[in-house]
Amino acid sequence: MQKKTAILLTLVMALAMFTAIADGLTVKDFEGREIKLSKPAERIVVLMPADCEILYAIGAGDKIVGRGEYCNYPAEVLEIETVKSGQEMNLEQVLALKPDLVIATKMAHSKENIEALEKAGVPSLVVDAQNIEDVYKVIELIGKVVGMENNAQELIAEMQKGFEEVITKVDGKKLGKVYYEVSPLQWGLWAAGGGTFMDEIGNMLGLENIFAKEAAWAQVSEEQVIKLNPDYIVTTTMYFGEGPKPAEEILSRKGWEGITAVKNEDVYNADNDMITRPGPRLVDAVRDFYEFLYENEAADKAA
Amino acid sequence: MEKLSLKQHILFFSLLTACFFVCLCIGSVPIALSESVDILYKALMGVEQSSTSASILIFVRLPRVTSTGLVGASLAISGAAMQGLLQNPLADGGTLGTSAGAALGAVLSIAFDITLPSFALAGTAIMAILFSFISLIIVMSIAYAVDKNFTNNTIILMGVIFSMFAGSLISLVMAFSGEKLRSITFWTMGSLAGADFSNIVLLLLSLIPSSLVLMLNAREINAFSLGENEALHIGVNVKKVKIALLIAVSCLIGTAVSVGGSIGFVGLIVPHALRIKFSGNYKKLLPLCLYAGAIFLMLTDLLARTILSPVELPIGVVTSFVGAIVFVVIYAGRKRNA
Repeated sequence: MQKKTAILLTLVMALAMFTAIADGLTVKDFEGREIKLSKPAERIVVLMPADCEILYAIGAGDKIVGRGEYCNYPAEVLEIETVKSGQEMNLEQVLALKPDLVIATKMAHSKENIEALEKAGVPSLVVDAQNIEDVYKVIELIGKVVGMENNAQELIAEMQKGFEEVITKVDGKKLGKVYYEVSPLQWGLWAAGGGTFMDEIGNMLGLENIFAKEAAWAQVSEEQVIKLNPDYIVTTTMYFGEGPKPAEEILSRKGWEGITAVKNEDVYNADNDMITRPGPRLVDAVRDFYEFLYENEAADKAA
Repeated sequence: MEKLSLKQHILFFSLLTACFFVCLCIGSVPIALSESVDILYKALMGVEQSSTSASILIFVRLPRVTSTGLVGASLAISGAAMQGLLQNPLADGGTLGTSAGAALGAVLSIAFDITLPSFALAGTAIMAILFSFISLIIVMSIAYAVDKNFTNNTIILMGVIFSMFAGSLISLVMAFSGEKLRSITFWTMGSLAGADFSNIVLLLLSLIPSSLVLMLNAREINAFSLGENEALHIGVNVKKVKIALLIAVSCLIGTAVSVGGSIGFVGLIVPHALRIKFSGNYKKLLPLCLYAGAIFLMLTDLLARTILSPVELPIGVVTSFVGAIVFVVIYAGRKRNA
C-alpha cells in the first residue's frame, strides 16, 4: 500500500514537473541559442533602444526594470533606471536590477557579455535585425518572451500595412540617386552604404544609393559625392541650435553647387533615431521621407 | 655648409611644387592631366567654371592638398624643434602628449561652444594652442619632478601617460556631449577631408610666425641639442628662448590638430629621415623640415584618399603605420649605438 502511494506520489510529482516545463516557454534567439523561461518575462533589462521601443509598442513597457543609456523613446522610458550597454555593459549593474530576462543585440554586445550573464543565471535574448524582415522576427520573438504574441502580431501587421501603403503610392516610380550622409564634412564624410535601413527604405521609395556597393558605414571621398551627383541628399546629423542647420550647411558647401540635390535644394534632414533603429518607428521614417520626396516635390511643381 | 644653399632651396621648392601638382591631379575621381591644367589655368585667369571636374579640383582638392601641406610642415618643424630643445630624438607632438592635449582643448571648445563668431575654427584653434602649451608644461614639470636628470625615457614615458590621460578626458567629454562629438576617428586618427580656404588662412597665420621664431633661434636650438648647460655656457638666455620655442611649437601643433585632428608620427619620421640624409644642424634641418613635412603629408594623404577609393582611410592610419615602424628602427639603432 505504502509502495503504491509512493509510486503514485512520484507520478504526480513527475506530472507536475512536466506540466511546469510545458507551461514554461522555449524560444530560439538570433544566435541560435535556446532560451527556456519558466514563465513570461516580468522584469526585463533592455539594452538597445530599438528593442525598448518594441516593448512599448506591444504594451510591455511596464515590464522594463532597466534600460540601456541610449534608450530614449517613448518619453516615459526616461524614468526607468539606466545601465551601461554595448562594450561597457556592466554585469553588476544589470544583476542589481534582478531581471528575469536581458534583451541584448549581437552587434553591440560581445559573446563574453552574454556568457557572463548566462553564468550569473540570467537568461538573455540576443537579437540582430539587419533588415525590415528581421525586425518582424525580433518583434515576434519579444512578443513570445513577454507572453504577448497577439500584440506582437498586430504590430507586425500594422507595420506591414504602413510599408505597403507607401509602396503602393510610390508605384515603382524611380526618383534617382541619393546620398546618405551620417557624418558631416567637418569630421570627414561618412556615408550609409548598402545593407543599412536607410538603403532599404530608399529602395522602397524609388531611390538608388550612390554608395550601395560600400559596406554599411564608410568614410567616403568628397570628390566622389560631387562626381556621382546625387539627386537627393539625406543627412542624419542632429541640430544643436547653433551655427547653420545641417541641411543649410550642406547647401552652402563650396564645390557642391553643381550637385543636382544642392541645386534643387533637395536636402533632407532625417531623424537619426527613427531611420537607423530597427524598431517600429521605421514606418514613421518612411512616411516622413515619402512626404518630403513626393508631396513637397508636387508642391514645388505646382508653385 | 651651415645653411641651406640657394641651390638647395630651389631644388626643394621645385620638388614641393611638383609634388603639389601631382597631388592636385590625382584623386578618387580621375581627371585627365590636360583637363586639370586647363582648369587651373582658367582659375588663375579668374574665369568662372561650373564643370564637375572644376568643382572637385578647385574647391575640394586645392584647399585639401594645401592644408595638408601646411599641416605637414607645421608638424615636422615642431617635431624637429622639440627634439633639439629636449635633446631627445623621440620627442614629437604625439610622444610628448602635446597633440592629445591640443585635441582635448579642441573637443572642449566644441562641447562648450567656445567660438569666435567672426572666424570659423578660431575658437577651437585657440583652445587647442592653449591646451598644447599647458600639456607641454605639465609633461615637462612632472618629468622633472620625477627624475631630476630629465632623461629621455622619463620625458617620453610622461608624455605617453599624459596622452592616455588626455585621451580618457576626451572620451569623457564625448560621452557627455553624446551625438555632437561622436566622430571619434577624427580626434584619434585625423582627417583632412573638408579642409577649406579659411583653414589655409588659419594654418598660415600660425605657421609663418612660429616657423620664423624657430628658424631665427636655430643657433640656440643647436646649442640646446648639446645640452642645456652647454647652451647656458655659450651664452643662450635659456629660459627666454625655451619659452619662446615652446610657445611656437604649441601654436604649430594646436592649429594643425584643430584643422586635421591628431595625425601621429609626422614630427618624428620627417626630421629623422632628414638628419640621416642631410645634417643634424638645425639651421639646415628646420627649413628642410618645412619642405619635407609638406611633401610627406601630401603624399600620405594622397595614399589615404585614393588607395581604397571611393572609401577614404583616416590619414593617421597611414602615418602611424609608417611611423611606428620607423620609430622602432630608430630606437633599436640608438640602443645599438649606445
